Amino acid sequence: MKLYLSTAPHIRSEQNTQSLMRDVIIALLPTTAAGIFFFGLSAAMVIALSVVSCVLFEYLWQRITKQPIRISDLSAAVTGLILGLNLPSTAPWWMPVIGALFAIVVTKQLFGGIGDNFLNPALVARAVLLASWPARMTGATAYAIPTMWSGADAVTSATPLAGYEASTMDLFLGNIPGTIGEVCKAAILLGLVYMLVRKVITWRIPVVFLAVFAVLSLLVGENPVVELLSGGVLFGAVFMATDYTTSPMTPNGQYLYAALCGVLVCVIRNFGAYPEGVTYAILIGNIVTPLLDKYSRPKLYGKPKKEKKEAKANG
Amino acid sequence: MQLSNGCAIISGGILFIRATLYHLFNSERLVLYLPKYSFRGGIHPMHHEHEGKLPSRNVPIRDFVSDTVCIPMGMHLGAPSKPCVQKGDHVKIGQVIGEPVGGLGLPVHSSVSGEVVAIEERISTGAAPALCVTIHNDFQDEWVEGIKGYGNVETVDPSVIIPAIKNAGICGMGGASFPTHVKLSIPEGKTCDTIILNGAECETFLTADFRLMVEYPGKVVDGLRAIMRALNVKRGVIAIEDNKPEAVEAIRKAASGREGVEVAVMRTKYPQGGEKQLIRAITGRKVPSGKLPIEVSTIVTNVATAAAIADAVIDGRPLIDRITTITGCVNKPSNLRLRIGTIIADAIGECGGFSEEPGKIVMGGGMTGFAAPNMEISVAKASGGIVVYNEKKARSVEESPCIRCARCVEACPIGLDPYRLKHYCDKGDLESAKAHNVMDCILCGCCSYNCPSRRWLTASFKITKEAIALEARRKKS
Repeated sequence: MKLYLSTAPHIRSEQNTQSLMRDVIIALLPTTAAGIFFFGLSAAMVIALSVVSCVLFEYLWQRITKQPIRISDLSAAVTGLILGLNLPSTAPWWMPVIGALFAIVVTKQLFGGIGDNFLNPALVARAVLLASWPARMTGATAYAIPTMWSGADAVTSATPLAGYEASTMDLFLGNIPGTIGEVCKAAILLGLVYMLVRKVITWRIPVVFLAVFAVLSLLVGENPVVELLSGGVLFGAVFMATDYTTSPMTPNGQYLYAALCGVLVCVIRNFGAYPEGVTYAILIGNIVTPLLDKYSRPKLYGKPKKEKKEAKANG
Repeated sequence: MQLSNGCAIISGGILFIRATLYHLFNSERLVLYLPKYSFRGGIHPMHHEHEGKLPSRNVPIRDFVSDTVCIPMGMHLGAPSKPCVQKGDHVKIGQVIGEPVGGLGLPVHSSVSGEVVAIEERISTGAAPALCVTIHNDFQDEWVEGIKGYGNVETVDPSVIIPAIKNAGICGMGGASFPTHVKLSIPEGKTCDTIILNGAECETFLTADFRLMVEYPGKVVDGLRAIMRALNVKRGVIAIEDNKPEAVEAIRKAASGREGVEVAVMRTKYPQGGEKQLIRAITGRKVPSGKLPIEVSTIVTNVATAAAIADAVIDGRPLIDRITTITGCVNKPSNLRLRIGTIIADAIGECGGFSEEPGKIVMGGGMTGFAAPNMEISVAKASGGIVVYNEKKARSVEESPCIRCARCVEACPIGLDPYRLKHYCDKGDLESAKAHNVMDCILCGCCSYNCPSRRWLTASFKITKEAIALEARRKKS
């Protein structure tokens, strides 16, 4: 008889990296479906290309550098899906591929692979594409007006943030121009509820992010409901700011990080040169994350008061 | 600072309202809607499988005596006892076969009558081989002469109680195996106003304490009263998780009319039975980092220990048996009253043998137990359970990289940041690990349980804690 030996604990929770990533993909499915519904087959093509090239780049990199192949943890697939949803449906075939290259190879693998990248891979890819091909990403001809399968993607327009007029209901349901994933707010909220129920994420980051953003928008004289439903703030707060690797791990750090993101989105939208600032806001939040982790350590049970005073005295 | 004071006042107020409502209406339902005694962090291991307790939960305690026992001399924390019998000697039940050594020493008693067949080093409970006395049982069940009780716990002279506990060889039976008479010796300048009996049994799989409370509630309450009288303490609390309503009812019945004895219903959450968590939940006090519970005038001990104390005081009976849960992949999951020193293979045989090919045998619960290297090791004073895992569940899982999901931070009941701590521990950076409070880690296993990357967090903290303790000892000498 062979007996295994190990230290405690001998039982582990059922959640593992793969199951968590699978849950994120499931949470993204309504958004993906809505995007394809509104923008047609071209959206499906962009998403598929993005997912396939992300997984392929991860596989190739790990193969070339002789690392264990980890594509089965599905994290590359999640990155690919989020990247695809961050692109306009009019994107040519090479854009998701270049984006995937930046996301997986430059941002993720060069910094050490899963868990070690300090920036959100999909967001870096989006930022690179945004800076390199601004007209294709946000220009007046970038966004297709939803066609509901009725015709080709011939008609293009600016987003509501850049002057497109839309009713609140259209903003909520997604009958507006925009990137594939950001338009349908109803689907994003469905994904949020799923992730909360499955305990994939906690409420802290999305709720604080959106609440701070809404309050600030009100203060600068905008309609917070329209602001929340416009652009990618909801998608960013739910699916991108909550990325495990690039967000703080302590509860207090998470509050601060989310609040910072909310403030930055509002500042960039209202006072910056870009109509939309979610990408950069979250990237800046990512950069601050190690600092927040360092200074927001949880309170130790029974920490002696004397030590606290000494720590204060020492600065 | 002020915020935490405010929180303390509010939570204290809620506890007061709870207690008042209970006394006024004597209704559990009313109290149900108020927050239960609990703590921060923690996990719900195997929540959907009733913490793994279902198979043995409703099986009454039954006796099992094997034909050979192998009694380790080092069942308690502190120096192992010195054997005082020879090979070939005839011993009786309750006879001292190991004499205490050093300040934390305890006597060891024979748990059967019969012939000593071997005194040898063997792997018994811990990792290192230790001296064990093997006795062949003659089934005459002869007790040694001179065992007599001290009398009723309510009337006995309080000064005889602690010596009686020491002579009975009682150590903490919840797992830590700290000698109980030392725990009950209050150091100079300290006071004690609350005794907490831990009947939470938050560990997975184990039901031994539960059965004890259901079947012998009187013993538990007697033991608590004995401790309270020995230390002249006015308040004694028996803490039980809310997934054991039968135990709550039985203990409540037994405790009614007993002076200063309360029952506290705790939320089912792991590690609710942790010493620091219990004290926080019941008294609202926090044991300062690096200090013992007596610092906040509290002593925590296990319900099984209390029952052993009752036996020691009332009957003068030494600790020769204990209730142990045998569950997992066995045909008849049971709660057995086993003689100390029973070989686990015999105990598993009594439970109908393996129901599947075994992969791992764990002494204790799933969160803190230790894996048995073979089937020949003995049941010690602190062995609350023997859990058999099948091959599939036993296979250790491969670590994958940390994805920084923060589940370890959420789960830690002490407020550590396990992911960062593991980084220092793996590097062997003892100074940084100490600065990040590794010595405060209670090794509950919550972080490892929760980790989706299956990282061995608790294991590295355990190794680091031992390394730091070793270094400190080396510096001292």
